[in-house]
Amino acid sequence: MAGLKRAIDLAGRFRGVLAFVVVFLLGVFFAPVSYKTGHSTFLNWSTQNDILFEYAEYGILAAGMTLVIIAAGIDLSVGSVLGFAATLFSLLLVGYGWSAAGAIAVTVAAAAAMGMINGFIIARFRMQPFVATLGMMLVARGAAKWISGGIKVQPGAEEWYVVQSGNPRVFDWMTSQTALLGLRPITIAFVVSIVILWVVLRFTRFGRHLYAIGGNEEAARLSGIRVGAVKVAAYTLCGLTAGLAGVCNAGRVTLGDPGEAGLTYELDAIAAVVIGGTSLMGGKGGMFFTFLGTLIIAYISKILSLQGIEEAPRLMIRGALIVIAVLIQQSRKE
Amino acid sequence: MKRVGRVLVAVVVIGAALAGCGEKKGGKIVIGMSQCNLGEPWRVQMNADIKAAAAKHPEIEMVWRDAQNKTTVQQDQVKELVNLGVDLIIISPKEARPLTKPVADAVDAGIPVIVLDRKVEGDKYTCFIGGDNVKIGEEAGKFMVKLLGGKGNIVELKGLMTSTPAVERHEGFMKGIKGSQIKIIFAADCHWLEPDAQKEMASALSRFPEPDAIDAVYAHNDPSAHGAYIAAKNEGKGREKKIKFIGIDALPHEGVRYVKEGLLTATFQYPTGGAEAIECALKILRGEKVPKNIILGTRVFTKENAAKGGQAL
Repeated sequence: MAGLKRAIDLAGRFRGVLAFVVVFLLGVFFAPVSYKTGHSTFLNWSTQNDILFEYAEYGILAAGMTLVIIAAGIDLSVGSVLGFAATLFSLLLVGYGWSAAGAIAVTVAAAAAMGMINGFIIARFRMQPFVATLGMMLVARGAAKWISGGIKVQPGAEEWYVVQSGNPRVFDWMTSQTALLGLRPITIAFVVSIVILWVVLRFTRFGRHLYAIGGNEEAARLSGIRVGAVKVAAYTLCGLTAGLAGVCNAGRVTLGDPGEAGLTYELDAIAAVVIGGTSLMGGKGGMFFTFLGTLIIAYISKILSLQGIEEAPRLMIRGALIVIAVLIQQSRKE
Repeated sequence: MKRVGRVLVAVVVIGAALAGCGEKKGGKIVIGMSQCNLGEPWRVQMNADIKAAAAKHPEIEMVWRDAQNKTTVQQDQVKELVNLGVDLIIISPKEARPLTKPVADAVDAGIPVIVLDRKVEGDKYTCFIGGDNVKIGEEAGKFMVKLLGGKGNIVELKGLMTSTPAVERHEGFMKGIKGSQIKIIFAADCHWLEPDAQKEMASALSRFPEPDAIDAVYAHNDPSAHGAYIAAKNEGKGREKKIKFIGIDALPHEGVRYVKEGLLTATFQYPTGGAEAIECALKILRGEKVPKNIILGTRVFTKENAAKGGQAL
């Protein structure tokens, strides 16, 4: 009996893994077969590779968001910051003819600065994260439209752009298959972000402080943790990942779209974090869970898409799934 | 155990929902249709036209995809259609540049691609079918000249001026009214949206309050023309009966209905190319040659001819 109880306990701890396996099996059994070959369109590396690629931007956002949520915060601005970064990156590359490395560095730094402003306002003025980042959500979207003049930044869009035709090489590179299992650089950026932030969260003092603040901010303060500085760092990292995701977005659509890049992405990022099992109340969760949460959302979306299910039932199924996932999470407390 | 039960229920519910949608197909022509945004009535009409044309050929099996106005989603869906092994792809792209490569990849994989409405870059596609906005604008301009007897003051309610169709509908119109004494006394960018058009028209009416200051309104789409009509009606001076409203697009349940009800004087059809796409698809799959670019004409709908399906121009 003790063995059985331990097994259930273990299954409980790896709920995320369990949910992931269930969704994967759904894919195996319910994805359609190819009209030509008669094989499943789900169980092949090219589809799997596509899924990792298509959801990489959400995954990168979710990785940064996890830090903030573990510290009992929230960042609603990441979608807009992504849009700003995508626009700025394209503008530097196409408009001003910068090198890829320089453009990436400046873009990511600018996005991190936006995150830092979020963190500063939240920490210094004790403002609710929801409100502060809601403000940044509008500011960043406005900034994207301002620097681009409201148009999509692509070769030839303005007469003064340095690049008038053809794709910047880095765009093609970002979506090309590398020698490493055919993974694309955008996918690799996703996996590397998860791994680095997993290490940060799991093995550094900063990571432990995030959990402490999320668990009980007052206790953390009394035990000598510099709560404000830790929060600023968390929001800065969150902005940084949004910048990286923006660079990826520009590469994927081969232009910077100030109006629509990243629109409502913050909700998908939060959903990925929550579905993975990180609590919105803070103090509980982890980076590996977020990785699973991203994959779960990605697989569900892919299966629905492969089946050609229409928008209306698709939204309902996705909504139901998020609620079910959190329900399963809460059952642990019983 | 309770937890396991919940997981099982979830699996069964979702599984059942999905299983209902999957069926095997064989011995048929499978055509994949990638629509960029089914939130716009004109695009819903395009899909309806394709569906109606495909229904006449029982051997055609359609696979539908809606990218919900997201470029990245449409890129992924084109890839999916290739993986699904469809025989031909019809795509109405959201954005030219980002979809150029997915379309080229499909062609490289041996799947013919028909591009509708908006072009992709380069020439890696099988066939393009689209309307001619310059011509439509020009016809609207000529119609306006005739309607007003060559002289009058008008308001132009433009579509989103960062989009090509709006720019072309404006240029064509200017060409159409060239040489006449028609003056545009007020113009505004209404982003294709009826509420915006209503607001802009209200401003125009208060800037020009004299009863006969405005003779006509040229709107780049029917919802904007309709919005202008509503604004004039809301003003409460009865000017909606004097001012002539002209729109573009002529969707059956939208512009054509407004014309039949007498709200708009005329609307010019912007063809979806849906029916032509299916004809073209069958030709391609039979191995016949098709033109690389097919430009469609337009039709004008007025109160007199609306019931008969308009008049070709």
